[in-house]
Formats: sequence, structure tokens, C-alpha cells
Amino acid sequence: MTSDVVVADGLWKRYGNREVLRDVRFTLRSGEAVGYLGPNGAGKTTTLKLLAGISRPTRGSVQIHGLDPVGDRGAALRKLGALVETPGVPPYLQGRDLLDYVARVKGVPAGERRGAARRAAEAMGVEGHTDRAFGTLSTGLARRLLLAATLIGEPDLLLLDEPTLGLDPAARHDLRVVLRGLARNGLTLLLSTHLLEDVEAVCGRVLFLRDGALVGDEPLRPSDLDGGGASNRALRLRFSSDVTSASVGGALGPDYAITIDTPRDAIVRFSGGDVEQRELLVRLLAAGLPLVGASPPEPDLARRYFERVGREDSE
Amino acid sequence: MTGVIRDFLDNARWELVRLRRSQRIWLLLIPAIAGPIGSTLADLYLRVPSPATAQVLGLLITAGLASLVLLDLTALAVGEDLALRTHYFTFALPQSRAAALAGRLTIAVGGSLAVFGVGVILVLALASELVASLPGAVPAILVPAHLAAGLFGLLLFLGGVTSAAGFLTRSSSQALVAGVLAGVVVAGLASLFLLEGRLTPTFPEALAAGGLIGLTWTVVQFQRADG
Repeated sequence: MTSDVVVADGLWKRYGNREVLRDVRFTLRSGEAVGYLGPNGAGKTTTLKLLAGISRPTRGSVQIHGLDPVGDRGAALRKLGALVETPGVPPYLQGRDLLDYVARVKGVPAGERRGAARRAAEAMGVEGHTDRAFGTLSTGLARRLLLAATLIGEPDLLLLDEPTLGLDPAARHDLRVVLRGLARNGLTLLLSTHLLEDVEAVCGRVLFLRDGALVGDEPLRPSDLDGGGASNRALRLRFSSDVTSASVGGALGPDYAITIDTPRDAIVRFSGGDVEQRELLVRLLAAGLPLVGASPPEPDLARRYFERVGREDSE
Repeated sequence: MTGVIRDFLDNARWELVRLRRSQRIWLLLIPAIAGPIGSTLADLYLRVPSPATAQVLGLLITAGLASLVLLDLTALAVGEDLALRTHYFTFALPQSRAAALAGRLTIAVGGSLAVFGVGVILVLALASELVASLPGAVPAILVPAHLAAGLFGLLLFLGGVTSAAGFLTRSSSQALVAGVLAGVVVAGLASLFLLEGRLTPTFPEALAAGGLIGLTWTVVQFQRADG
């Protein structure tokens, strides 16, 4: 059973005369990894600030596990890890100072603090850099140490704002692997980023924000888009020679919705699970169609991003 | 231990770590050691006419040094994180922001006052032990014990001004400037009142009250701050 970990209920945020957020509503259920996409200035960071109790909404409310992150911050934020924007750390401090401080504040028992800090540092691949001053670290290493600090105290909710910013490709890949692993283990994740591939690699759902308003809340993969309808699964099928909707449809029967993407590519939507998927492939092969590959359709996130938020500041 | 007390202690310890890592912890030795010893040596070299005069000079020198240390530590305790946006990280931690800042200010302001207190004791003791009264010496311009109490009020005031300025400007350097300016104004007013014979205990008491108000205001605002 899933439960709502985060409830953002009609969030408005105004700075002076500028409305940064307008009636933003969404929930994050336990174990969900959700991408938060939008151009610069759309209000992504502001949303994360409200969720993390850094800022207060002008109107609306936030609940983390049913608690107000500002009023009940001690309880609401205990199992939260948040990295919002790019916080600096005084250059003379060492990574282990920060990890120990976070462990203390999060109430990690004295005997477990060192182990908790070590595990968090190892998860981010910075265990060899914790005794260096922040001022001597590269941007990427400093960021990874901050990310490690968010993992202290075994959080069940991570709010990350551009977590891969400043990381080299290897570190970026490693971070995605870590985040995927955490999400698989039931951690709830809200990932605000400009990098669509980060979302594609980690998330199962995506929120689109434009000019402070939520303009999309949908599953990452198109195959999930019809979840409420007759078809809940999709496969991209590749053939070695041209096929038509009629030839594929003739092989499969009426329960399958077929879209010919290119002459040798078709997307088939159907309802069911692995058994129905296997049956589909068997029918195609039995009909003698030149099937050479089958895979889940690509998320096609870039196209949807442009459709939802336009082309400004796209990456 | 309640959550607020634990937050206070965690952050007091955090401030000590910051002082140690930034090497600023050594600054705390200056008012406690350099002030008394330096002023006593000057007293002896200049043949100050009486122990009370030596004590007044020593207290002023030690308070001057303590105020510089206090300004620096207080400005950093409040303004550095805000300037660097470290608070985007620490504000999302499960702790009372007010207790967190109070813990840090206790080390910055309290530590500076404490070392000034040590300096006061040493100044008073060294001057009475080592400085002899010359025949016909004029009385000291102020009663040393009164001056010491007044200087505590001044330091508290500077702490309050600097912490409030650190919060308002979100910058340790601007907070430092505000504290220095406040010190100059207070010194000018004190000199004026002294010349006019109107310098009473009310003045340092008002300073101390103002300082406490400034510190309290900063802590309260920190709790309410919209990141």
C-alpha cells in the first residue's frame, strides 16, 4: 500500500509583486521517484524550498508525512534529505565536520554517527575526501559531499535540486545509479533538474512547471500514459522489413492498439502483464512477421517537455 | 534532553568546530592575554601614576581588542552562512533555527565576553601588583570597576548590533562595518557625556539592554526567516 509522503496543496508564493508559484498541487506517494522539470525561473527551486521548510508559502500548505515542515520541523524534516540550489560551505570546514553535524542534528546516536557518515560518503564516492577542507575541493566533489550529507539519517524522502550540476560524466552516472537504487529501496524522490536524461534514468513520473504553474503531471513512459484506459502497456516492435498496421493487426487481433511509427517500427499498446506480452510476441512470430526486436517505448521526454513548457531554456 | 536544548548544544559545538577549523579560536587569546600583558608593560614603561589609572588604560585596551574579536566572530556566526547560502542546507535540517543560532551566538558573543572577563581580572590584578602610586598622582578619570561593568555593556551592545546587521544584510562583512560604526558612535557619546559630567550607569545599562534586544531580535527573526 502506498501513502502520501508529500502533499503540496495549492501552493502560491509571491516575492514582492512577482508571483513565483501559482496554485501548485501534487502529491508524492511513498517510493515514487518524480522528476520536476521546467525552464529557469519556473519556480522549481521555490517549490523545493517550500517543501523543505526553508521558505513559507504565501498561500496553500505543504505536508511532509502529514506534518508542516515549518511548524513541525523537528518531526517533519527528520527523515528528509534536501539539497536546494547550490549552498556554499565555509571553505575552512572539512567534509567530515559537515557529515558529523548533520548526523548530530538528525539525532543519529553517538555510536552510529561515524558509521552513518562513512556509509553516506561511500554512497557518493567521496570517502577519501572527507578530511579535506571544502575550499580545496572541486565543485563536483563539494557537491557530492553535500549530497552525501543528505543521505545521513536514512532519509525516506529526498528533495534534490540539480543534483548532477558540476559533476563529471562518471560521477553523474554513479549518482544516477545511487538514486535509482535508493528509489528501488522505497525512498521517495523529487528530482528538480534541467537534464532530461537524469529524469529518464531515475524517475517514473514527471511534473512540468511553467511560469509558476503546474502544466503536466504524468508517468515518464508513454506506455504508462494510458494506465486508466483499456491499454496499460506498450512495446516498440522492430521488424527487418516494412510492416503495416493491417499486417500487425491481423497477426494480433482486435485487443491491441497499433501505431506504425516508421515502416519498420510499430508501437503496440495492450492491457495485461508479462503473460500477455509473451503471447503478443508469440503471435507475431507465428504469423511469420519479421520481428527482430521489442522494447519499452522511449520516454520521449524532450518532445513532451517542449510541448508542456515551450522551447525556452530547453536542454 | 529536549529537542531545543539539543539543537542549542549541537550548534554551539558546531560553532566551536568552525572556530577551530578557521583558526579563529586563537583570537580568543588576545583579550585574555595580550590585552592585560601588553597594557601592563605599557603602564610600566610609561610610568603610569597610579594603579587605578593603569587599570583604566588596561581595561580600555583590553575592551578594544575584545570588541574586534567579538565583531568578527559575531558577524561570521550570523552572516557567513547567509552570504554563502549555507542556510539552504541547514534550514532543511530538523532543528529549531532559533536554538541553532542561539547556540552559535553563545559561543561567539559569550566566548568574547568570557575572555574579556578573564582579561579584566588580569588587568586589575597586574596593575595593582605591579604599578606603584606616584606621589601627588591625580585620581583616575573613572572608577575601574565601574568602567569594567560599562565595557561589558558596550560589548553586549556591539554584539547585538552586529548580529542584527548580519541578519539584515546577509553579509558578514557588512555586519562588521555596522558593528565598527556602532562602536565609534558609542565611544563618541561616552566621551561627550564624560566631558559634560553626565556619564551615569544608565548609559552602559542602556547599551547592554540594547545589545540583548538586538541579539534576541536576531534569534527570533532567524526562526521566522523566509529562506
